[in-house]
Amino acid sequence: MLKSIRQPFGYKPVLKKEDLQKQHNKKVARATNWRATLGHIWHIVDEQRALLIVVLLMVVASSVLSLLGPYLIGKIIDNHIMKMQFVGLPGLIYGLIAIYIGLSLSLFFQNYWMIGIAQQTIYRMRTGLFTKLQKLPVSFFDKRQHGELMSRMTNDIESVSSTLNSTFIQVFSSVLTLVGTVVVMLSMSPLLTLLTMVIIPVMFFATRWITRRTGKLFKEQQQALGALNGMIEESISGQRVVKAFSQEQRMMEEFAEKSSKLRHVGFWAYVYSGGIPKVMNLLNNASFAIVAGVGGLLALKGQVTIGTIVIFSEYARQFTRPLNDLANQFNNVLSAIAGAERVFAIMNEEEEKDAASRTAIRQLQGDVNFNNVSFKYEQTEEAHTIQKVSFHVAAGQTAALVGATGAGKTTILQLLARFYEVNEGDITIDGTPIQAMSRQHLRSQMAFVLQDPFLFEETVRENIRYGQLNATDEEVVDAANKANAHDFIMKLPNGYDTFLSADGGEISQGQKQLLSIARALVADPVILLLDEATSSIDTVTELKIQEALERLMQGRTSFVIAHRLNTVRQADIVFVMQQGELVEAGNQQELIEQQGIYYKMLKESKA
Amino acid sequence: MKTMFSYIKPYKWYAFIAILLMLVELSVELIQPLIIKKIIDDGIVLQDTATVWLWGGIMMLLAFLAFLAGVTNSFFSAHASQSFAFDLRNALFKKVQSFTMTTFLRFPSAGLITRLTSDVSQVQQVLFMSLRVMLRTPLVVIGSLLMAFYVNVSLAGYLVIGAPFLAMFLFIMVRKGIAYFSAVQKRVDRVNRVIQENLQAVRLVKAYLRGMYEASRFETVANLLKKDTSKALRTMEYIQPILLFVMNVSLLAVLWFGAGKIQQGQTQIGELVAIVNYALRMTGAFSMFSFIIVLFSRAKASADRMEEVLLIDEGLEHDVEDKGQLDIRQRGTLRFDNVSFKYPQTDEFVLYNISFECGQGEKLAIMGATGSGKSTLLQLLPRFYDASSGDIYVDGQNVQNWPLEKLREAIGYVPQRALLFTGSIHNNLTWGKTDASVEEVQEAAIQAQIHHSVENFPNGYETRVGQKGVNLSGGQKQRLSIARALIRKPEFLILDDSTSALDIKTESALWDALDGEEATMLVVTQKIRTAKGADRILLLEDGQVSAFGTHEELVKNSTLYQKIAASQQEQEVDDNA
Repeated sequence: MLKSIRQPFGYKPVLKKEDLQKQHNKKVARATNWRATLGHIWHIVDEQRALLIVVLLMVVASSVLSLLGPYLIGKIIDNHIMKMQFVGLPGLIYGLIAIYIGLSLSLFFQNYWMIGIAQQTIYRMRTGLFTKLQKLPVSFFDKRQHGELMSRMTNDIESVSSTLNSTFIQVFSSVLTLVGTVVVMLSMSPLLTLLTMVIIPVMFFATRWITRRTGKLFKEQQQALGALNGMIEESISGQRVVKAFSQEQRMMEEFAEKSSKLRHVGFWAYVYSGGIPKVMNLLNNASFAIVAGVGGLLALKGQVTIGTIVIFSEYARQFTRPLNDLANQFNNVLSAIAGAERVFAIMNEEEEKDAASRTAIRQLQGDVNFNNVSFKYEQTEEAHTIQKVSFHVAAGQTAALVGATGAGKTTILQLLARFYEVNEGDITIDGTPIQAMSRQHLRSQMAFVLQDPFLFEETVRENIRYGQLNATDEEVVDAANKANAHDFIMKLPNGYDTFLSADGGEISQGQKQLLSIARALVADPVILLLDEATSSIDTVTELKIQEALERLMQGRTSFVIAHRLNTVRQADIVFVMQQGELVEAGNQQELIEQQGIYYKMLKESKA
Repeated sequence: MKTMFSYIKPYKWYAFIAILLMLVELSVELIQPLIIKKIIDDGIVLQDTATVWLWGGIMMLLAFLAFLAGVTNSFFSAHASQSFAFDLRNALFKKVQSFTMTTFLRFPSAGLITRLTSDVSQVQQVLFMSLRVMLRTPLVVIGSLLMAFYVNVSLAGYLVIGAPFLAMFLFIMVRKGIAYFSAVQKRVDRVNRVIQENLQAVRLVKAYLRGMYEASRFETVANLLKKDTSKALRTMEYIQPILLFVMNVSLLAVLWFGAGKIQQGQTQIGELVAIVNYALRMTGAFSMFSFIIVLFSRAKASADRMEEVLLIDEGLEHDVEDKGQLDIRQRGTLRFDNVSFKYPQTDEFVLYNISFECGQGEKLAIMGATGSGKSTLLQLLPRFYDASSGDIYVDGQNVQNWPLEKLREAIGYVPQRALLFTGSIHNNLTWGKTDASVEEVQEAAIQAQIHHSVENFPNGYETRVGQKGVNLSGGQKQRLSIARALIRKPEFLILDDSTSALDIKTESALWDALDGEEATMLVVTQKIRTAKGADRILLLEDGQVSAFGTHEELVKNSTLYQKIAASQQEQEVDDNA
């Protein structure tokens, strides 16, 4: 029993002494960091300045009215009830009713508008972050778990949201109430006022002691939540494999570990942040006792009236309440900062460098040249993924890339589309280096069929239209027909209007590839990139779409990666890749005559 | 809500102690006006300094007592609420792990993610607040009211005039709040989903220059979230002003009628002052009250969403108890008996009356056009989905009688899309066999033709794989995914077109290496060459068995097979040219 009662005190401290000391040293840097984060938020809030001013006026109104109420009640007690003097009382009561109506209205409207401001700010942060994500290079996403990024978009922004909804009004009204109360208190009894103020320094140090800890804890909490979110997302989207290998137990253990980390940090965040109202309560009660006790003594000497004590005890509460609120709000702000910092960390990531699209959007011809291109992925320490690759594909030609897996074929296409930047050498299209073109310009001339077809939670029609947003319905159907997808689409419950579930749940991988080809057909590009576009499609169907693809490739520069040699055989030029290097190039006939690697591959395929 | 409470149960004593401590705090606060009354009535009015000192001192002491109670309360309530959330998260995650693939179609991952994080936080927050301040607020109100009645019944009566009206008003507001906030959480799901899609399809979005298009799509969902959140919060904002107004008017009634009673000598001034004091406390609590109602409605909405998941009992993996005495007579055999299958909520059968048999160690190739049901058929074996009708026998036993884990342990499944997880390569491979030795890992990797590539990575088997294996090539992922299945030395090896990204040389090396395997193999393939190497071929057409037999038989008898062969023959003719 005793043991279990001790349990709440058994949590190991998360914060180490060094942490706090280090924090102390870094205080200056941290302060500017906070300021930057708050500045960021303020910048967005400030866009709605007019509404904000209205809200502040309402706060002034409600603060004045809420001070006026008890003041009048004190007056009623002192001047009328104590003196048994009832003339004029009804007038005061009517006045009070008017005050209360005003109070209720101003409270309602300040909150009503503030919610609008806060939600608009959150909306701007969210869409800002999303737009930012669209501008980040692919390599940024390679390094991060999806769920972790999603957590920033929801959980972290939510922590800003809940603070913003209340903090702004609270802080402002607290300050106002505080000033107002002090003025009234001073006018009533400077001595008692001074006594009530004794608690301020105590409060200040207590709050500082606590927030120094909570600030850090909140940050860790958001991190832990992000890590947990990452793990959940990955395990759910990979559920099929989890099941196939009966790894539920392992997943649960891993989850429990991350979840327990969150609990641990959360516990201390709660304990420390929960301390603020407790300290305030103590000071509140203490000041109440001081006012009652000392006030009582003063009253005995006739220096104050009983009415003053009653009102003062009420004011003492009114005085500590805004202080309490301020301390609490400070804490809330810290938790918002913890979330906001994670959001702005992404806002500060370096965007894809892009040339201004000054080169007037002219139609490209599609003459592609790789000149001594080398490249390696950021995360690998491998020497090079692509090493000194040079080739030329004239406009309108079809080039096939063949080679063992991991030879760098896909990487070549990704470099051409500038998903990644080359480390050395350069890539030109029509003689212009691709770095000198805007990505917008470059990619608007290309269409992709990626190795891993992806479908959005949308209708089949919209998924195909993704290739060309202003394609007509007829064009979509036409593309589907050419890609041999029309027949199976018509068999779906609602044909083209069938809503696909997450990542095309119920349709097969091969069908996804067909849709993805249709999508490229709709796009009508100058340069076509097909990365294993038909790998999951049966050969009979493949033959049928082959014709359409051939027609599509006509007059366009095309790059094709395929293992099936009948796809390769139509190419004007074949590039054989081996371990990141281009080892053979030429048309099919030439390569066969060379009797090199390609020739060997062909022979093997028939063996 | 009942289910939520069952998760609080293990911590009820902590919650109980926390509430007791809170009551200590609260009673201190409630006693204070009484003490002031004593100071006024006994001290000041009677001119007794000692009484003033005494009661002033007691008040101070009580203040410290309340503080101590409050801090201790923090520990208990933090422990109870964090542990509650921890258990709840784990329970949710466990439940999700037991979903069938069909249930996943009903609950998209984005919605589950929101439930496991945002929804849990909402409820946890409310529990913590309840144990510390929230319960306190109604108690302050009730306590103040009781004390007021204790002081003077007739005057205090005026305080409750508005009560019935307020009760009804609050009831309506809470119901509205729950509905609105549940809509908000659904919007969060949508926001989550659009982000998830964009992260998964980052290359596609970039390739088609849809960044701005996606941004506007996101703006739509974010805007709906904004609107619904504002609506929910704004509706809740009616509560405080109205409560406050009713209470304030009641206070005036007390003053008005109290004044009359004092005039008539029925009431003492101290009594009226105390009641006014209590009434002010109640109004003070009301701003908190509206805050609580917002939080509570929100938590209730979240709780409902979580219960929706926790209470599912259909669509869970139906498991039989492992009694360890499964009668296995024909190890390594497989039989489909009139199996039909359709996805839930669809009318069309994906598989129709499939029957075939497969002996121990046999290699069965499965062929058929895109969408003919090949992958679906394979997914019935480890029971990702259950057949709509007909039976499947593994080792001579109906799969329905197998404990799931045993069944899946017997199967090495290589999915069509190689899916790896964040972690090292070694980690990913040991998914197949948790306690695999380094040698076993290497052996499987060698067999899957990936050992050499891994050795060439700077960190070898400790190389980190990004989510879904982003930093590996398609073929490398496929081979790792094959090694992951091989490592468990399965009775059944299922390859769902898992070599599509391999070049011909690597692929044939792989098939050679797999030749020695004793496992019964089911291989989906597009290639006649691969099918030739199989003992028998199952040819599917529109979900039905079109032909079943050896390569030679099919070449002779099946026109569809001939057509497929022809589509690949052409290539060889050309190559010879």
